[in-house]
Amino acid sequence: MQRKVKGSALVALGASVALVLTGCSGAPAAPATSSGPVTMTFWHNSTTGDGLQYWKDTVAAFEKANPNVTINIQAIQNEDMDGKLQTALNSGDGPTIFMARGGGKLADVVAADKVMDITSQISSDVKTSYGDAIFSAFTVDGKIYGMPTSVLPGGIYYSKDLFKQAGITSTPTTFDELNADITKLKAAGITAIALGGKDAWPAAHWYYFFALRDCSKDAMNTAAAKKDFSDPCWTKAGEDLKAFSSTSPFNTGFLTTSAQQGAGSSAGMLANHKAAMELMGAWDPGVIASLTPDTKALPDLGWFAFPAVSGGSGDPSAMMGGSDGFACAKNAPAACVQFLNFIASKANQEGYAKAFQTLPASRDAQSGVTDPALKDVLTAYNKASYVMLWLDTMYGQNVGNALNGGVVNMLAGKGSPADIVTAVKTAAAKG
Amino acid sequence: MSDSAEVLTTRSSGSQPARDGAHKAPSRADRPGRARADWRQRLEILILAGPAIIVFLTFVIFPVFMAAYYGFFKWKGFGVPTNFVGLQNYITIFTDQNFLDALKHNAFIVVLSLIMQGPAAIAFALLLNQNIRGRSVIRVLIFVPYVISEVIVGTGWGLMLQYQGAVNTLLSNMGLGALKGDWIADPNIAIWTLMVIISWKYIGFAVILMLAGIQGIPDELYEAAAIDGASYWQIQRWITLPLLGPTIRVWAFLSVIGSMQLFDLVYIIWGQYVASTAGTSTMATYMVREGRLAGNYGYGNAVGVAIFVISLVIALTYQRFVLRRDTDGALTGDSGKKHK
Repeated sequence: MQRKVKGSALVALGASVALVLTGCSGAPAAPATSSGPVTMTFWHNSTTGDGLQYWKDTVAAFEKANPNVTINIQAIQNEDMDGKLQTALNSGDGPTIFMARGGGKLADVVAADKVMDITSQISSDVKTSYGDAIFSAFTVDGKIYGMPTSVLPGGIYYSKDLFKQAGITSTPTTFDELNADITKLKAAGITAIALGGKDAWPAAHWYYFFALRDCSKDAMNTAAAKKDFSDPCWTKAGEDLKAFSSTSPFNTGFLTTSAQQGAGSSAGMLANHKAAMELMGAWDPGVIASLTPDTKALPDLGWFAFPAVSGGSGDPSAMMGGSDGFACAKNAPAACVQFLNFIASKANQEGYAKAFQTLPASRDAQSGVTDPALKDVLTAYNKASYVMLWLDTMYGQNVGNALNGGVVNMLAGKGSPADIVTAVKTAAAKG
Repeated sequence: MSDSAEVLTTRSSGSQPARDGAHKAPSRADRPGRARADWRQRLEILILAGPAIIVFLTFVIFPVFMAAYYGFFKWKGFGVPTNFVGLQNYITIFTDQNFLDALKHNAFIVVLSLIMQGPAAIAFALLLNQNIRGRSVIRVLIFVPYVISEVIVGTGWGLMLQYQGAVNTLLSNMGLGALKGDWIADPNIAIWTLMVIISWKYIGFAVILMLAGIQGIPDELYEAAAIDGASYWQIQRWITLPLLGPTIRVWAFLSVIGSMQLFDLVYIIWGQYVASTAGTSTMATYMVREGRLAGNYGYGNAVGVAIFVISLVIALTYQRFVLRRDTDGALTGDSGKKHK
């Protein structure tokens, strides 16, 4: 009896496999020709508001100009983007056009041969208006793999009204001044700094910026090239952050505060005048605007650069930031790069900057920036002696993951500055 | 052998008279009929079990073997893994304090779930077995949290329990401001917060199981005990509890497995990184963080295999030593007879 059942189970298995196989082979793969209709999928991370609408409109305009091209848009929540993209690219069924943030994360995708080299296909107009420097974040081994759409240098966004209320007359340029301002804010009953610790990367950004001020440019580049974090500046950055956080500058319960979702998030606290400052990238004015009570830009939003740290080897004018951009899948049709050139045009870049309330990558479009906070960012950006990529982007997902965890632990009082560096070294054993 | 044959005949209960006849008096004339019946039976098994077996092999067994394979590599998740590292990933796992912490949290959750939910569920079931007013309303209310999706439960509790959330606001408005706490982020209380949420969420399931178990106990036993002069508590202690044994053991098994695999509530409430800081990380959240978020897919697979083996050992041990007396009669015909 036992054997019979096994036998019939095998027969069943075989028959079903055969059924499945014939089912699969019945659907032929659509041939991709240049003249025929082209269908592409497009992944971006703007799930709400003007940004979502901007991509809808831009894609519609592109489809109108190229009637044979159809682009299916998929908006994916930012925190889900990296993981989903990796899974999709690896399955071989990934998007044709996808968001790229450059640095080590892009290098991983390049190493896996999943992304197209667009060096020779960028139009000369775009090259002139962008300049060469902006492409560096998307360059791996001398080849360009992505089209930047924005420059997102980081710094501290603050509420001018709340600063005034606390009697602060000028923005701080050193940490002593910042600490004094925090004391004033607290005395006035205002939460000084909002921090979205639940998402971890906003907390890690504090560490990155201390590292930017404490580490020389060479030390940071060495770390990127060799994954070598032995320079004492990495520990000093942790110690500086620990000393700073011991003065409790952050909102109560910052560990479970998210960065961008809802009025209780760190951006939401700024948008509703529940906190005076937030360390963020240049996407922040747009995020804050979407969280104000009337979902309009916060009128009293200002910006100042991360203050200088005493005894640091980094240049005080140096900035850190990223670039959002888009890349084409390895075997994408020609229309893909056409689309990238299309979104890089002056008009579309201006539209982009307006919709996202951020800084466009195109220098031609940068003159259209009117937001006062962003103007300050742009001035500082153009004066910066050098611009580093976000460390998690530059050092890749694995190290970024370890930094995130290490910094959150330390801010919660569970780890030391040295533990951050140890965590980064341990991460190397896992990947 | 004859025992099991008897069982088979009684179970088929005359639906296949031809087959019964063949069994009793085998003769050449019956052969073609029997062959046709065999063929029909095979076709039936093929049609009924085939798809399920395919799905099971494709989505359960095959991934387990693939995970075991990937677990031996350092692999970024792109293309075919090439960097073979042997058991290195497993050594890293069991020397990583974060994983050992997660394992400890899992163990804590397993034990605490049993202690917190078991007695409470039995008490509720006894209560709801009485003829009290509004019984069905109470039953529904207890069962509702179990029906709500984990994501909604997690988001709701996560928002309420934040420092500036509803719970703390309520406490201070009631004049109990001294009791305010950082329920989610404080490592000293976070795991207890999790235990309360888990108990609230899953106790309905336990109550329903226990109720069904209690209602399966024959009334005659209660009547006999009452005639013999047993008190209410004596009846519960000496009749209900022992006869509820099989239900309790099955519930405990399900609870242990659920606790081992706990992921969604923790991930939603604490996010991707804070769980391990707050002391609520589980093996599953560790796997997602170190595998998927870090992009170390080879390592993540190794963690998955480790979780699988740990869960399997616990499940088999429990089956062998605890569940065996319940499943004896059901799965093994011969010994089942003896017990009867």
